[in-house]
Order: sequence, then structure tokens, then C-alpha cells
Amino acid sequence: MHFSLALFFFAGNRLAHLNGVDLLILALYFAMVVFIGFYNRDSANTSEEFFLAGREMTAWIAGLSFVSANLGSLELMGWAGAAYQYGILATHWYWIGAIPAMLFLGIVMMPFYYISKTHSVPGYLQLRFGEGARGVSAVSFAFMTVLMSGVNMYAMATVMEIVLGWNINFSIWVGAITVGLYVVLGGLRSAIINEVLQFVLIWAGAALIPILGLIQAGGWTNLKAQIVAHMGSGYVHLWSTTGSATSNPMGVQWIGLTFGLGFIISFGYWTTDFLVVQRVLSANSLRSAKLAPIIGAAFKMFVPLIVILPGLLGLVVLTNSDGSLMHLVGANVATAGQHTYNEVLPLMMVRYLGPGLLGMGITALVAGFMSGMAGNVSAFSTVWTYDIYGAYFNKKATDKHYVAMGRWCTVVGMIVSIGTAYLVASAASIMDYVQALFSFFIAPLFGTVILGMLWKRATRAGGFWGLLAGTASSIGMWAWVKADPMNIRFMILQPDATAEVINKVQAMSENIYRAMWSWSICVVVTVVVSLLTKPKTLAELDGLVYGATKIPSEGDYPVYQRPIFWAIVVGVGLITLNFIFW
Amino acid sequence: MPRHQTLSIWFFVGILTLAYGLVLFVTGTYEFSHPLGAAVQLANLHATFWWGLLMTVFGAFYTLRFRPGRT
Repeated sequence: MHFSLALFFFAGNRLAHLNGVDLLILALYFAMVVFIGFYNRDSANTSEEFFLAGREMTAWIAGLSFVSANLGSLELMGWAGAAYQYGILATHWYWIGAIPAMLFLGIVMMPFYYISKTHSVPGYLQLRFGEGARGVSAVSFAFMTVLMSGVNMYAMATVMEIVLGWNINFSIWVGAITVGLYVVLGGLRSAIINEVLQFVLIWAGAALIPILGLIQAGGWTNLKAQIVAHMGSGYVHLWSTTGSATSNPMGVQWIGLTFGLGFIISFGYWTTDFLVVQRVLSANSLRSAKLAPIIGAAFKMFVPLIVILPGLLGLVVLTNSDGSLMHLVGANVATAGQHTYNEVLPLMMVRYLGPGLLGMGITALVAGFMSGMAGNVSAFSTVWTYDIYGAYFNKKATDKHYVAMGRWCTVVGMIVSIGTAYLVASAASIMDYVQALFSFFIAPLFGTVILGMLWKRATRAGGFWGLLAGTASSIGMWAWVKADPMNIRFMILQPDATAEVINKVQAMSENIYRAMWSWSICVVVTVVVSLLTKPKTLAELDGLVYGATKIPSEGDYPVYQRPIFWAIVVGVGLITLNFIFW
Repeated sequence: MPRHQTLSIWFFVGILTLAYGLVLFVTGTYEFSHPLGAAVQLANLHATFWWGLLMTVFGAFYTLRFRPGRT
């Protein structure tokens, strides 16, 4: 009995050993999140309260929650691993791959999301383009969100097994039950409070690693010199090596980074993925809704300090027991006893964090995992209840009925996620398929939403067919490259590309190129079909489209309290950082 | 009738950070007389003690500033 119980908790070797103080810190975190769920159970009685936290969050809370919903533990570990593997180029996913889109959401798009009083992104599409576009977007989002939640659940359970030796079943069930409990009880409000807590915990748990690492490496200048000596100068420059795909370790070019990542993927994710947009919709005023993504962007700019810098430090300070430099490898080639790229962050934690601090670091990872899962299930329950159940199955139910449906589908979403996690556990290749599937929908959706908001002439038929064509072409391109990887040479417009270039592009930038093409196809089809069909009247577009909407005043505030002022400050900061690390 | 919300989100942040700060502060203080083994690098800097102190101050400020009953 005791033996089997021990097997439920622990399995195999582990990187880190938690002692009593570490477990106390972890237990305090679990106690707090469950308490938050119970505390908020009476504040989630109406659909507005349950799905949108009563639309009463301040700009700071909505902003931190917005950036935190994306800051999951897999993200932290994955990008620290990418920094070890590809160098400082990984920073692009935090800077040009996020900040401009967040500022654009705040200044340009948020007014339309907010004043249309929509409850979701598919809800906006329904107002702008009708039921067809809403149906495509709601079904794909709900389906993919719940699958992604399961994939994340499995991936995190695997991480916990590697780092702490926890049994996979234990991690999946404890995580799922805790998250399910606090989201079912407190709805989006619970999820948001926990995301703000998670943000603080991640910094509290991870900020010491780069500080101590830099002390040991002798400062940034010495670190850079050592990286150049070991790996080459491509590892410490953001832009100067991106002239061609072969001159940097990631195989990316500046055009793919700016247009593909900085414009399409990033704008698609940060401005139309309902998981993050839902946090901003909970803001208590238009001004707060505009400020929230800008506050989020300011914090996002500093996240590389706790993600990218530990990965870079790992290249220099991680050593084997005999004092030689440790070499991490890809998961697909790792042999017994070898550590993989994704383990760089836990390895750095074990290196510098003693009892107590290690517990903080592990708590940060667990918090990231749980709030990521909560983000997925709360967004899923909103889209399911409003845009699928309420739109197609039961249009005239009472508000109380919809709240009950939201609670139930949170539970069902959790169960489907657990099922997906076990499905992935039985066949790991499913994980790659699910992650690829998610990327199919984002880029075309951005094409449809941005044309809908900025172009009065876009019609109902144009929106629907554009979204459908973009999504179908994205899936088609993926299948085409899957059938023969060499086909990617046509997507990158280099028909005579060598196998070496193809391999590099496939590893990191296939998604970027597929996104660029599917977005372009969506936009072209939307424009052509719109020009051939009858437009809506200006009156019908009021509150939905730029040029047909009178944007309400944010109030009489001095310049330094206005969203546009802070957007410019953050934008200048972004440009300065890119020049510093050019 | 929904219950009126009385606890600020920042109070939750403060109370958890304060609790963690105190745990780390006590652990860090103990480590002055019982040093860590060689497995933890730069243990001589007593990061646990100083980080615990910083979190205690931060947590105490937020707990007091956003305590129930204070607007």
C-alpha cells in the first residue's frame, strides 16, 4: 500500500530535491489559490460576473493578467531552452514579436472590442460579419483551446516528472482539480486574481537566477565575450546576423522576423486570441481597456531578463561534476544522463537556489502551469456558452442558466483536457499535431478581424470566405510540407534551397512563413469577395469599424495619463533596446 | 444578492509575498549558522536571507496598504 502510494507521487530520477521549507512554500500557494476560489464564489452569479469578472478590473490588474495569461511555465522553460540553443535571437519573440501588437491592440483595436460590448472575439465577428464567420472562429477556438489545455497539462506533468520526480498522474490530477475548483467557483475573477499572483511569483522565483548568474559570469560584457568565444557572434546579436538564413543559428531572416513574426503571428496572437483578449475585456472603462495592453507590454519587455538571460548564462556557467562545460542537446537526440535544452532553467535553479528559494522557483513554474490552464478553460467556457451553446442550441435561456452552463462546461473542458493529456501520453506525436493545428487559425483570423475593424467596405460574405480560405490554405500548406519537407522551399520563395537551409527553416520558421501566406490569402479573398458583394450601411457599422464610429472620450486627463503617451514611451523603449542589442 | 467584494487583489499579493518573505528570511538567517553545501553556487552571498528580507518588506507594504477596511 505504502509502496504504491509512493509510486503515485514519485517516479524515477529527478533534477531537484525539495525539502520541508520548499514544500511549505508550495503548500501555501495551493492553499491561497483554493481560498481565492471560495472567496469569489458569491461574486460570480451573473454571466457578466462569471465570464467577464463584472467588467470592473483596473488597468493594472487587467494588464498584468493579460501578460500573465501568456507567461506559462512551458513558455518560460521553452524560451530559456531556445536562448541556450539559438542565443539572443530568441528575444525577438518577446520584443518585436509581442510589443508592437500589444500597443496596437490598446490604441487601435480595443475601442472597437470595448464599445461594441462584445463578450468574445467570435462575438465581435458575429456583429461585424454575421453568424458564418462567428461559427468558424468559435468552433475552431473552442476545439483547439481545450486540446491545447490537455497538451500543456501533459507537457507540464512531464516537466514535473523530470525536475521533481513527481508521477505524471499525480501532477495531472492535482493540477486539474485545483484549477477546475477555483475557476468553477469564481469564474474569470478567480482566474485573473491568480494570474496577477502568478506574475508576482514568477518574478519572485526566477529573478535571482540572472542576478546570481551575472555575478558569477563577471557581468554582461564578460558573459558576451565568453559566449562569442564558445559559440560565435551570432549568439549575441539581435539583427546584425539576420541578413540571410544561413548566417545565424536560428535560420531566420529580417523580413520573416518583421513581417511574419512581428506583424502577422504576433498581431494574430495578441489581438485576436480570445485567451488574452478576454483579460482586457474585463477592464472597468475604455481608458483602462486601452491602458491594460500598454501596461502589459511594458512588463513584457523585461521578461527576457528572467527567460532569455538564464538561457544565455547556461551556455557559460553550467558545468559537469568534473568542471568541464555542460553541453545540452535536443530532446530527440538526448541519451541517458544527458540534459536537454528545455532543462536549462531548472538546471540553473538547482545551481543557484538553496532551500526555500528553490521552492519559490518551483512554485513559480507550478503557478504558471495552473494559470495557463485556467486561462484556457475560462476562455473555452465563455466561447462555448456565448458563441456555440447560446448561439445555436439555446438562444433564449435565462442568465442564471448560462452561468450554470459556464460552470458545467468548465468541468467538461477540464475532463476533455485530462483525456487529451492521456492521449498525448500514449502517442507523443499527437502533441506536434495539436500544436500545429493551433497555428492554423490565428493568422487568418487576424486578417479577418483587422479588415473588419479598419475597412468599411468589407462585407459579411467577404469576412466568411476570407476566414475559411485562409484557414483551409494554412492546413493545406502544413499537409503539403508534411508530405514532403522539401516543399517548404516554395513557401520561402527559394526553389533551389539546400537541405541544410530547409532543416533550419523547418525547425524555427516554418510557422512564420505559413502564417504569412495564409494571412495574405485571407486578406486577398476577403477583399475580392467584398468588392463583389453588397456592403453594409454606415449605420450598421456604427461601433464596429474605424471611420463609421465615434470613439467616446477617455476623459479629461493630462498628457502623461493618456494611453497614447505611454504607448509612445514603451515604443521608444522597444526601439532603444533593439539598437542596444543590434 | 452578490456579496460585496472586500479584499483587494493587491492584498492577496501582499499577504502571500509577506508569508514567503518571512519563510525565506528565517531560512536565510538559519543558513548563517548552518552553511549550505557546495552544491549551491554563491551560497556565501546569502541570497535567501536578502531575498527574504526584500519580499518581507514588499509584502508588508502591500498587506498594510491594501488591508481590508482601508480604501
